[in-house]
Amino acid sequence: MSSGFRAMHPSVALLYYAGLLLFATLLFHPLFLATEIAGLTLLLVLQGQGRQLLRALPFFLLMAVSVAVLNPLFSHRGAHILFYFMDQPVTLEAVLYGLMMMAVLLTVFILFISYSYTVTTDKFMYLFAGAAPRTTLLTLMALRFVPLFQRRLRQITMIQRIRGVDAGKGSVRSRMRDGMTLLKVLLTWSLEEALQTADSMKARGYGVRKRSVYGIYRLDLQDKAILLLLAASGLIPLFFWMKGYGVLEIYPRMKPMHFGWADAAMYAGFCLFVLTPPALEGKEKWLWRSSRRSVYPSAIPRKTGTRFMSSHLR
Amino acid sequence: MVRFRFPLLIALGLFVAGLALTSALKDRHYMLLSLVLLAVALLPLFIRLERRPLESRELVLLAVLSAVAAVSRIPFAALPSVKPVSAIVILSAYVFGAEAGFIIGAVAALVSNIYFGQGPWTPWQMFAWGMVGLTAGWLRNTWWMKKKGGMLAFGFVWGFLFGWIMNIWYLISLPDAFSWGLVAAAYASSFYLDLAHALSNVFFLAVLAGGWTKVLKRFRKKYGLLQE
Repeated sequence: MSSGFRAMHPSVALLYYAGLLLFATLLFHPLFLATEIAGLTLLLVLQGQGRQLLRALPFFLLMAVSVAVLNPLFSHRGAHILFYFMDQPVTLEAVLYGLMMMAVLLTVFILFISYSYTVTTDKFMYLFAGAAPRTTLLTLMALRFVPLFQRRLRQITMIQRIRGVDAGKGSVRSRMRDGMTLLKVLLTWSLEEALQTADSMKARGYGVRKRSVYGIYRLDLQDKAILLLLAASGLIPLFFWMKGYGVLEIYPRMKPMHFGWADAAMYAGFCLFVLTPPALEGKEKWLWRSSRRSVYPSAIPRKTGTRFMSSHLR
Repeated sequence: MVRFRFPLLIALGLFVAGLALTSALKDRHYMLLSLVLLAVALLPLFIRLERRPLESRELVLLAVLSAVAAVSRIPFAALPSVKPVSAIVILSAYVFGAEAGFIIGAVAALVSNIYFGQGPWTPWQMFAWGMVGLTAGWLRNTWWMKKKGGMLAFGFVWGFLFGWIMNIWYLISLPDAFSWGLVAAAYASSFYLDLAHALSNVFFLAVLAGGWTKVLKRFRKKYGLLQE
């Protein structure tokens, strides 16, 4: 289902995720990182990707926790010594720094899950088709070949089995040999066929002139408004970051956290940036729910017993 | 908008690079800088791909080889570091040269990660596999690379190098703990995975080398592809 934030123009989504990646790597502050994780999780859950997140989480946690554990073991700076581990001091600062790094890594991991759901590769390529037409074409062709080759390999396996070439039976040596035969057939077949495709492309005039770009996504009014909103709200935290806010100093000695007006303004801008897409997604969910209620205040008279499908793109 | 695309992209790139540098120098926070540097490392060969004269046949050939490399990763998904990708990239680079090898490696990493999950490791893998192809292409005319033993040794070494490059991306998240001890610990903990990758490279190269180079060389000759 394509709706809400996912149905917006790719440039909006790309700006959002680029901004989030930037903030995750720049704003080294627990409050900001926690807000970002919360915002992204909310977006994922609203988009129905919670299960996806849960499935990937153990692997992410393993990686992030190992960073949190490694830091205090190898870094001994800091003023507050908690205890000694194998004659080496374990400091409060090092533990906190490790935890913060863990949060940064987790943020980036979750960000990529959400990113690959929202900005599918074809959307990413659409954005860069003008700047790098060959790379785009190459990647999209490779992308399309992957399922094709898998299908083809299955066909080859079935056909070769009748000839007695079977990678699933026999001694290890013969299975290996047969497996390689199958792969070689796949390679030869695919190359031969792909080169025909290339000739056909050439016959149709590929490479004669500069490649034109066909835009399937249109930047409409809402897209423009959200783009502007994200850009404006994203610049606020960046501006304050350059002035030195939004970074918690842990080494060599932890500074007390204080939260002044500047921090509040920065945080507000940051929240606006992070929470705009979840809000859009939530609005969509709410509209959908209320459209199914019988008391929905609509000018269109609703017939009972029939189902309405909205057919317009968004 | 369309006319200003390149200046806009360059300005944006410089802006992010500036932010990354500031962050690295001021807060000793190297994550963004590492991503920027990776992008800079990947850029020249992709720009070259855009600029050089290239037949549509050659472009399609690159796409097929990248896709074959990406597909080959899928049956071995359960085994963490057994990836035939490196072997296929080495063989393709051996026949078609350094630039083609780099592109095939980088695109294979990008495309296969659509199935395995994109993450901050994607650019690192693109870089690592790109370098596998690039070095294989550079060394393809040396006497030892032409021997099967030399190519197997090359694959073995890259099994470890690949793991070492991939270790960097989480080592840089610990700038303060950075010491030779940490590096040794990280590299020791990944030793068995790297060894598995190296051995599987040797295995796949040994099995694929003769047949695949023959097929690829035949295609190269028959269609006059990437002759330089």
